Amino acid sequence: MVGEELVGLTPEMIEASQAGMKALGAGLAVGLTGIGTGLAEMAIGSAAVGATAENKDVFGLVLLLTVIPETIVIFGLVVGLLLLF
Amino acid sequence: MADISAGPAPYVYVCTRLRVRKAKLIPREDYLRLLNMSIPEITRFIEETQYKREIDELASSFHGNDLIELALSWNLAKEYQSIQDITPGVLKRFTQSYLRKWDIQNILTILRGKTQGMKPGKIREILVPAGEMDRVFLDRLVKEETPERILEALKGQSVYPAIAAGFSTAVSEGSFARIENELYKQFYENLLSEATSGFKGGKQFLEYIMLDIDITNIRNMFRLRADTLHEDARSMMIPGGTFSTDAFQHLISIEESKEFIDTLKSKVHVKPLIMLLDEMSGGEKSLREIEIDLIKVQLAQMESLSKLNPFSIHPILTYLEKKKYEIFNLRAIARGKEVNLPTDRIRSYLVM
Repeated sequence: MVGEELVGLTPEMIEASQAGMKALGAGLAVGLTGIGTGLAEMAIGSAAVGATAENKDVFGLVLLLTVIPETIVIFGLVVGLLLLF
Repeated sequence: MADISAGPAPYVYVCTRLRVRKAKLIPREDYLRLLNMSIPEITRFIEETQYKREIDELASSFHGNDLIELALSWNLAKEYQSIQDITPGVLKRFTQSYLRKWDIQNILTILRGKTQGMKPGKIREILVPAGEMDRVFLDRLVKEETPERILEALKGQSVYPAIAAGFSTAVSEGSFARIENELYKQFYENLLSEATSGFKGGKQFLEYIMLDIDITNIRNMFRLRADTLHEDARSMMIPGGTFSTDAFQHLISIEESKEFIDTLKSKVHVKPLIMLLDEMSGGEKSLREIEIDLIKVQLAQMESLSKLNPFSIHPILTYLEKKKYEIFNLRAIARGKEVNLPTDRIRSYLVM
């Protein structure tokens, strides 16, 4: 089936299509993980601001907790970079 | 402030703030230490906690027990006002409705104080302007000469009809108990209609209201039984909880104490309350001990509800209630020390 559909495409066109799909995949990897990170940080960030408002000493600790979900988007970025290069 | 459409973030924010505040409340060990202190030592101790600003502000004009009483009242009112400022959307609405309880308490304090001829300054010390009626309005009420003039000043307030209906009887009898009962009935009725009017989070609010009504009704049952009251007590029940009016009357009319506790146990579903009733069926307790135990049960149940629903009205109400009992405890210790009550006696009044 796939072979039949590709009939009529030049090798340059196939190559360009593959590069496009890779770029799309990389974009999705970074974008979706970014949304995931945002959702996770929403609750942690709100709690962090609340805790800091009551006790300023916990600022360093809550900042660390807030950025832990950043790992999700970093994984997405790594996957994106692996796809592109 | 943020609306409900802002998602769960404002709920998380305010619930976390109140959890931190709850963690700062005075722990049991400190109450035990306070029991062995004199009034100046207690003042110094609470000055080192959350009450510093109030003590510093009032120390030049007041001293001794008056200073502690006023500082505690000011702190509680300030705390409740600040919570209303930080709570978002529908939580604010529920919190404000709950805090209207203080309006009832303040009005009754003023009416009782005036009837007993207390000085305005002494009445003012124990008022907590945390509800709809602010300090200026309450000050105006306190300055009025007679209970009749206070009633006049209350015209236009939501509590006026209930007070006006039983006012002449209450003044002639010298007891505002029936008015108090009617006001609380109206208060819980308003809370129930608020919780069931379709707002998000209303279900959790309803759970709390039902618990509060049940505990209040059970406390009233014990009080009525202790008074050996044989008249129809149906009018004294607050509707809306687990008990029907007939069940309430039936429970009060049971003569045998063990049978009463067993019947009561079969009607309630709150686990800490069942455990307390189990404990009660083993031996006799005084009414004061029972009342303190019921408060502890309510707080324990509220604590578990706030763990089940961590970002709802429950953590807010749990903090409000615990803060209220911290103030009650400190007041009990200070008053007990002032009249030289034995430590064990003061301890039995503490909720810890």
